[in-house]
Amino acid sequence: MTRPAPPATPDLPAADQPEPEPRAGQAAGVSPASPAASATSAGFGPWAWWRWTWRQLTSMRTALVLLFLLAVASVPGSVLPQEGLDPQAVQQYYLSHPALAPWLARLSLFNVFAAPWFAAVYLLLFLSLAGCVIPRTFRLAGSARQPPPRAPRNLARLPLAARYQTALAPGEALAAAAALLSGKRFRLRTGDGWVSAEKGYLREAGNLLFHLALLALLAAICLGGMFGYKANRLLVVGDSFANTVTGLDAFHPGRAVSAAGLQPFTIALDKFGASYLTAGPLRGQPSRFDAFIRYSPQPGAAMRRYDLQVNHPLSVDGVRVFLIGHGYAPVFRITDGTGAVVFDGPVPFIAVEQAGLTSEGVIKVPDARPEQLGFAGVFLPTAVDTGGHLGSGFPAPLNPVVSLISYAGNLGMNSGAPQSVYQLDTAGLHQLPIAPRPLAPGQSMKLPDGYGTLTFTGYRPWISLAITYDPGTMPALIAGLTALAGLLLSFLVRRRRMFVRAAAGPDGRTVVELGGLTRSDASGGFEAEFAGLAAELAQAHQGGEPAVTVMHPAPGGAAGADPPVQDETTEGE
Amino acid sequence: MSRLRPCPPGRSRPAVIRPWLTSPRRAAAAASLAAAALALTACSSGPIAQSTPASNGQNFVPGAPGTTVFGHDSPMAPRVSGTTLGGARLSLSEFRGHVLVLNFWGSWCTPCRAEAPALAALAQHFGPAGVRFLGVDIRDTPATAEAYQRDFRITYPSLNDPGDEIALDFASTVPPAGIPTTLVISRTGRIAARIIGGVSYPGLRGLITTTLAQRS
Repeated sequence: MTRPAPPATPDLPAADQPEPEPRAGQAAGVSPASPAASATSAGFGPWAWWRWTWRQLTSMRTALVLLFLLAVASVPGSVLPQEGLDPQAVQQYYLSHPALAPWLARLSLFNVFAAPWFAAVYLLLFLSLAGCVIPRTFRLAGSARQPPPRAPRNLARLPLAARYQTALAPGEALAAAAALLSGKRFRLRTGDGWVSAEKGYLREAGNLLFHLALLALLAAICLGGMFGYKANRLLVVGDSFANTVTGLDAFHPGRAVSAAGLQPFTIALDKFGASYLTAGPLRGQPSRFDAFIRYSPQPGAAMRRYDLQVNHPLSVDGVRVFLIGHGYAPVFRITDGTGAVVFDGPVPFIAVEQAGLTSEGVIKVPDARPEQLGFAGVFLPTAVDTGGHLGSGFPAPLNPVVSLISYAGNLGMNSGAPQSVYQLDTAGLHQLPIAPRPLAPGQSMKLPDGYGTLTFTGYRPWISLAITYDPGTMPALIAGLTALAGLLLSFLVRRRRMFVRAAAGPDGRTVVELGGLTRSDASGGFEAEFAGLAAELAQAHQGGEPAVTVMHPAPGGAAGADPPVQDETTEGE
Repeated sequence: MSRLRPCPPGRSRPAVIRPWLTSPRRAAAAASLAAAALALTACSSGPIAQSTPASNGQNFVPGAPGTTVFGHDSPMAPRVSGTTLGGARLSLSEFRGHVLVLNFWGSWCTPCRAEAPALAALAQHFGPAGVRFLGVDIRDTPATAEAYQRDFRITYPSLNDPGDEIALDFASTVPPAGIPTTLVISRTGRIAARIIGGVSYPGLRGLITTTLAQRS
């Protein structure tokens, strides 16, 4: 038999291989359980150690343990603040746990997903998977090319068997059977007085495809992780930005992404429209969002228009831009105590509730004289007075109002320490003696003690965009679908074998014996196919009605020790 | 220089993922074999930004080049022109023959505010030697930016770049990988040095002096 050497590596659980093959003569390697039992090498040298280690690493059990470890290892990533996501919170943690924090930092627990030990876990997992899948791929490739086995001596012992007599000579009968089976696209093997035929090699091809696709999937996802990036950007109507590091708010590049490698597109937001349900129990629920943008794929190229909607992203230069949020940016003009305009522009406020889009925000005026100014407050799109309490009744700006608390003092911005633009550090500030009162667009508020004037000049909507570039997505999708197709093929197609023996009987007529065997006949149906084939063969041989016998139980390998039953096929996992 | 993030981390996070929105990873989910999920965790690199929290307060990668001095293969500065905060047209080529210090800044950016006095003083100090300073104001409105310039007594002009167009012009050569970023450009228009993060008075003075001493 030309089958490739069987793998000595028990790289998968034995669940799908009911009997370990008795291949005592081929002690190609050492058994992982009893390494010292190797007959070929007396000691346990470095090579044996290496083989043992490799086998342990590529075992399914190790892969599962690593997978579990990976899940456990990412727990601190969600429990502790992470620098990549929220550096502010990390700093806060340092302040509140001065003794513990440096130790956690030493263990990379503030940056779990970039930690060396985390990388070690996933690299080992990747290695384990590759080490498991690649040898299987070779084995399956061998199995797909394998010819049918020899016909067993006693076909009557097979799960399915039939016999009849014919007037044809044994050789003629075998030739006719071979022709018929070949016509039905069986793969043939002939010998002295027998014909073996096997069909359903597509099962192995499917299995092979699945494994190759799995490898491709791993590669594609790595590709995406290396060369892809994710970013966010908040964009106020009337503004524009470019896909550069300085133009993005949060930027999470893959390892191989450089600042110079970003696709140089530009996006300008002309108009944003939101529709809300105005009646019914879902009143205030958003029904439609349209961000009318213009974009150009590179500097100098003509601007194109696009209606960006939820789940209707913009694709530019392979990058996908999603609309993921919106809100209001009230516009303020602030003059300081000297009468100079020290601030003029929109300030994005962040929604704190969805029913009325009540939004909170802060205004920092670090260049005001005599002291820096700060304001914290709310923007109400549709201000309604509910018993002395002001709230927002609807998300659309039907009655927009801002209400601000005013501060003066030191904003803490000139020391260089980073701070959030959405938070006011009131440590160095004192509140100005002016009660917050609702301001409508166009209304002003004169600050006491000659600190200046604030004017609420209007409001502009803003949108937030998620920018994702993942060059691995399409290859991963194709690989995933291919894997699925391969898996289906290996599940739906079954390998089945037909054996024909013809010999001269005692009465001079030729006795034709048929045997049928299949493994993993999950979907059933081989019995009927066998009966049909037997009838066709009998007809071709002009023999009598074949007497079909079915042996029960007949799961795979029922014929026990008979050599042909042994089957190297590794079933789909 | 691949692991830098823009200036104020706080600016970044609108944090307004609303419930009605679906994830942008929908397409990826199509390939949601168990193996995919598994490998996804395995291979995709996590968030990169690595600031050292309690130590320097700068949100740049530790070990990332604060200062890069380019040798004789220094890249040419791109052709850039724009409108100053005052409304005048200005082009980078007008500074040929002068050593130029180009500073990307924003009034909202706290490290920019920390380095502003040093820049203002250096511009005064090197003015007689023919060194020119030019700012590129990122994501500001002119009124707010002019208040900043008054406050720090900055007398050199700044181009207004609300849409990152000037930053984009530099993207293919020496991208400003964070705010602030400062470039020292030689008399012939080559980028001699880049400083990511706030400059110090002695540090930038040394770079300018070196560039002034070069003949080309």
